[in-house]
Amino acid sequence: MAVTDLPTPPKRETAFGVRMRRWRDLLKTLLSNPTTFIGFLIIFLLLAMAIFAPFLAPPNVPDPYQMPRDWGATRMPPGTPGFPLGTTNQGGDVLYGVIWGSRTSLQLSVIVVSVTVVIGIAIGSIAGLVGGWIDETLMRIVDVFLSIPELIFALAVAAILGPSFTNIILSLCIVFWVKYARIMRAQIILIRQADYVQAARVIGDTKLSIFFKDMLPNASTPIAVQATLDMGNIVLVGATLSFIGLAESGIAEWGVLVSEGQAGIASGRWWASTFPGLMIFLWALAFNLVGDGLRDALDPRTEDKR
Amino acid sequence: MQLRDYIIRRLLILPILIFGVSVIVFTLTRIGGSPIGVYLSHEMNAEEVAALEERFHLNEPLYTQYWYWLKAALSGDFGYSGVASAPVAEVFWPKFAATMELSIFSAAVAVTLGLWLGVFAGTRRNKWQDHVTRVVAVSGASLPLFWFGIILLIVFWANLGWFPVGRSNAEIWASIAHPTGFYIVDSILAGSWQGLVDALWHLTLPAITLGFGAVAIITRMMRSALVEELQQDYVDAARAKGLPERLVLNRHAKRNALVPTVTVIGLTIAFLMQGAIAAEIIYRWPGLGRWMASAVVRGDQATIMTYVLFTSVLFLFANLIVDIIYAKLDPRVRLGD
Repeated sequence: MAVTDLPTPPKRETAFGVRMRRWRDLLKTLLSNPTTFIGFLIIFLLLAMAIFAPFLAPPNVPDPYQMPRDWGATRMPPGTPGFPLGTTNQGGDVLYGVIWGSRTSLQLSVIVVSVTVVIGIAIGSIAGLVGGWIDETLMRIVDVFLSIPELIFALAVAAILGPSFTNIILSLCIVFWVKYARIMRAQIILIRQADYVQAARVIGDTKLSIFFKDMLPNASTPIAVQATLDMGNIVLVGATLSFIGLAESGIAEWGVLVSEGQAGIASGRWWASTFPGLMIFLWALAFNLVGDGLRDALDPRTEDKR
Repeated sequence: MQLRDYIIRRLLILPILIFGVSVIVFTLTRIGGSPIGVYLSHEMNAEEVAALEERFHLNEPLYTQYWYWLKAALSGDFGYSGVASAPVAEVFWPKFAATMELSIFSAAVAVTLGLWLGVFAGTRRNKWQDHVTRVVAVSGASLPLFWFGIILLIVFWANLGWFPVGRSNAEIWASIAHPTGFYIVDSILAGSWQGLVDALWHLTLPAITLGFGAVAIITRMMRSALVEELQQDYVDAARAKGLPERLVLNRHAKRNALVPTVTVIGLTIAFLMQGAIAAEIIYRWPGLGRWMASAVVRGDQATIMTYVLFTSVLFLFANLIVDIIYAKLDPRVRLGD
């Protein structure tokens, strides 16, 4: 007759638990797709290279992000002892640039993507939640920003700020938040009507709690897809800006290295441009493959209809 | 909303957007510092500099300066380009023609190849040909254009010597008149076979470089649109009544798949404008992109301002035309909000 004799109710999953299980399922789907798997593998190797850079190539003193100069070994072809990928016109070790360039690119993409995602989420949420003339004003500003092709806008901003790698990062932050604001606003407007948000409102959750617990996690999927694609895209655009000449010369950055290697190709020195450019390609390719896989896995429309 | 009303509304928004772009870019350029530099020389004293500032209204507040800029721009005066050592409006046309010639040529290559590849992959869905095309398309979207161009130069210019660098052979260029600035058109007008061959020969590598990324965009769109169309009921109906597969494709599926593919034209134009900068640097192509690149490095404000404004206007018009074509082709498209 004791209360303890009642059958135990089935274990209830928390919202967090469900979310975790979904992420695990998603990861399983992603890794079973061969091209996505290759993307993950390349990203893993590139990250390892960036993290272990000081062990792979002893840091240049005083500034490891500057290319080392060895005036006794300029224009060495690949395969030269000590310089497996050859050296530049100024005696810079191409392998050193390839390795430390991965750190530069990692910094660039992580800073720009996190800053733009935060700005985009903030502005998109304000527009979507507040509505009215604030929404109208913000979205017209977004429209104007979207009227200028991204790379050209970033190029102009970086030029005005003055040529330096820091300013390239800054200019990309100024230009790339717009897409996130658009995505976030659309998501918020959609989610605002959802049953679970109404339910949370009925049981008296505060607005702040509804936003962080219900809206933000449910709006995150398309943001995550865009952020993954941008991790690659930002490095591509950033390298293009430094190739054009908006970064300091002599830094260990792939775009700068390709640009500086250009001078040698007429005399047959192909290596100084080829290897750093290949790294940019691999970086962008890896994130594009994973981003594509992510989109396919998350978008119900791309599933088979039959 | 009627299509006509929609077009009118979009046309009314267009100048507002262009105005917005000009305000943003103007403010940004002036934050970067005074554009007085291009007018100065070493022999000037402080009074002369002040007189110059007075003359170009640089001592007045920003909005007044903007007003003067706008008035001048509307009358066709876009300032003085330090890089070109001439007024922007004067040197614009030949550079514009050079860039357009390259872009149009690349676009033609990209559209032809992209549509063909999209159909090729879409009709062989999930077979190895589809996978290979997907890898090519994703690679195209990930390829740093400037690096791809350099690789082509290393192979076909430095090693094989098959293709030249630059826009023309100076002697052949000088031997014909250039009424339009488009080398191909000019050589046809002059009846110069030699000029036409020279133009095409110089165009090949930069056009491949610029077109490759655009191929990727078009291929992916065409493939997914075609895959979607091939799953529709009308395709089943057409097959059921015994229509040969070739006709099912050409008469029905492909035509409908082209409709969503039209939407990437705007994206492709933006891609070509952006890519032209890198391509023109590598191939020493005397166009707008190369002009902008040197203006950017040397802080030539008038050129930067004009270039950004020009590409935005082009981009906005392209998107407007795309939207109108799309609305016309697909009656299901809802016009308005």
